[in-house]
Amino acid sequence: MTTWSAWQNALALLAQGALVSLWLAAASIAAGTVVAVVLVAVGLSRIGLLRQAYRVYIWVVRGTPVLVQALLVFYALPALDLHAGPYIAGVIVLTMYLGVLFAEVFRGGVLAIPQTQWDSAKSLGLPPAALLRRVVAPLVGRYSLPAYINVCVMAVKASSVLSIISVWELTFAARQIIERTLAVFSVLGLAAAFYFLMCFGIDRLGRWAEGRLALRGFAGERG
Amino acid sequence: MMKFWTWVRTYGPGYVEGLEWTALVALAASAGAIVWGGALLGVRLGAGRWGARAVDAYVQLFRNTPVLVSIYLIYFGFPLVGLAWPAVVCGGFALVLQNGAYISEILRGSYQAIDRVQFDAAKSIGLSAWHTFRKVTLPQVLVYSIPALGNQVVLLLKDTSLLSAVAVTELTMQAKLLTEQTGAAYEAFIVVAVLYLTLVAASEIVFRVAERAVRWR
Amino acid sequence: MMEIRGLRKSFGDTPILRGIDLHVADGEVVTLIGRSGSGKTTLLRCINFLESYDLGEIRLDGTRLWYGDDAGGRLPLPESRTRRMRQQMGVVFQQYNLFPHMTVLENVCLGPRFSQDVPREEAEERGRTLLRRVGLEDKIDAYPARLSGGQQQRVAIARALAMRPKVLLLDEITSALDPELVGEVEDVIRSLLAEPIMMIVVTHALGFAREISHRIAYLSEGRVAEIGPPGAVLDAPRDPTLKDFLRRMR
Repeated sequence: MTTWSAWQNALALLAQGALVSLWLAAASIAAGTVVAVVLVAVGLSRIGLLRQAYRVYIWVVRGTPVLVQALLVFYALPALDLHAGPYIAGVIVLTMYLGVLFAEVFRGGVLAIPQTQWDSAKSLGLPPAALLRRVVAPLVGRYSLPAYINVCVMAVKASSVLSIISVWELTFAARQIIERTLAVFSVLGLAAAFYFLMCFGIDRLGRWAEGRLALRGFAGERG
Repeated sequence: MMKFWTWVRTYGPGYVEGLEWTALVALAASAGAIVWGGALLGVRLGAGRWGARAVDAYVQLFRNTPVLVSIYLIYFGFPLVGLAWPAVVCGGFALVLQNGAYISEILRGSYQAIDRVQFDAAKSIGLSAWHTFRKVTLPQVLVYSIPALGNQVVLLLKDTSLLSAVAVTELTMQAKLLTEQTGAAYEAFIVVAVLYLTLVAASEIVFRVAERAVRWR
Repeated sequence: MMEIRGLRKSFGDTPILRGIDLHVADGEVVTLIGRSGSGKTTLLRCINFLESYDLGEIRLDGTRLWYGDDAGGRLPLPESRTRRMRQQMGVVFQQYNLFPHMTVLENVCLGPRFSQDVPREEAEERGRTLLRRVGLEDKIDAYPARLSGGQQQRVAIARALAMRPKVLLLDEITSALDPELVGEVEDVIRSLLAEPIMMIVVTHALGFAREISHRIAYLSEGRVAEIGPPGAVLDAPRDPTLKDFLRRMR
């Protein structure tokens, strides 16, 4: 790119794209977490059939590339007469994908809790509502936190795949600029820098959160 | 029944070609990534503080950027500096660079799991650094890493789908082409999804067999 | 009083409890000893229904616990009823008793507040009193990670007592502690001897068992092989495996 204003334009465009990527990731993370809680409930259900269904569903979603899922949803929606556009398709796909990843994270969190914590809670005879609110949710949250943050970072990276189904976000914006100006390294470099900032930022945020929770008695149980 | 075989005859070749390319890229890139990851580990361990820092920076860079961006960078960028590589090589190279970072971390974890005593023992019988690496370090690192490597290979396999963005005729690209040709909305993607699942299952079986094989030692 | 009759439990094909008969009077302290695998911890967990059992019954003050009064007595009671039964027993485990995300006081008050619907101020008052009793009133707002193992176990005892249980079950509560911390926990148990609370204790610490127990029960092969006052069981054992066990414990 030759002129300074061309640079500024490109930068502004990329920044906007980055915000869209962040927004896509955030929306899917929120929705995905909700989906995950439902999935975990199914996965830990007493009914064997439901548990099997959970395992099959997890295996399918984890065994197919996100791009294929995105293309499937993207092409399937109009075919089913639901004209929702690439954005909605994108959020649906990401939500489904993250839902599965978060479900595995939460399941891992549940399994990481020492048995005597469950026993103690049971022995106190807590009613289910209090048990969930005061013991299970806080404990699972803390034991799942590192893995949860990892998935959040993956969410930001996965949003780049949505560019292929014509969702306008950071990667799409970068490609647009390249096709106009051929300034491949600088533009993609900047895009990479934006992604780096977002992912690294989320990672640091996660570590800070872990640190604060550790001070409150999570990590380093002695005895 | 007739309809099924017509279907196979018409569309079969496309899917088979897709499978071939996907498998080829996955295998080549996996091998490349394991070698590259091993090399990165070697640099980290052997090249002092600056080597370790350089590898750290490399790993952080590829951990926090999407594969697609790397693919585009190489595909669009290399021709500009005189490297006119075919699309599949560009894509494969990007996959190697990206996964090499993750694999070097996997290998590092396995390396740190080896009891330090073994290195003292090797030194005391006069093994050179190279021989220690070849006969003591490398085999154990590889054995400990098998499960995690299996996971990473599956991730790489799925990432080959992104090569469709630079027109490599692997499975996902085939599905796109077929969808456009036939106007069938999404069936091709379902077929391709099933094919990916098959490849993933096959890969998982291979790694589980490998795990068991080395355990007998 | 607690009556255990004919308790049997198998894990899959392996029988662990092969017919336990045990009566414990109000205010009595009974210690269970035996080799690992003899079923002591399993028995304790069955008493509190943390494990289901296959045959037999457990009665507390005449009421049958955990399983229904139907003919076979094989149907476990609904959660709402077992929850209430659990409130009559306090349990302290070997480790990881306390919830790490709550302060010491919050841990102690959790049971009274949410299981017994005691209002917050009253629960906190109860909690403070108990923490004073175990000597930890200055740690009220601390989180468990800041406490030593011995302090955590003392808080766990306070938490169990906060429910005002009829029975206290102690499962090897000093086994995971560094030796210098064992004493402070044993002191708290000693102080409870004056109270009319029934205690069933699993421990390896034979000296302490001798000191606090009214009776000691030796478990072997899933049964109560010998039971009696500490003097009889520890100094004049009759069961040959018990003699063996005691010799090894010296």
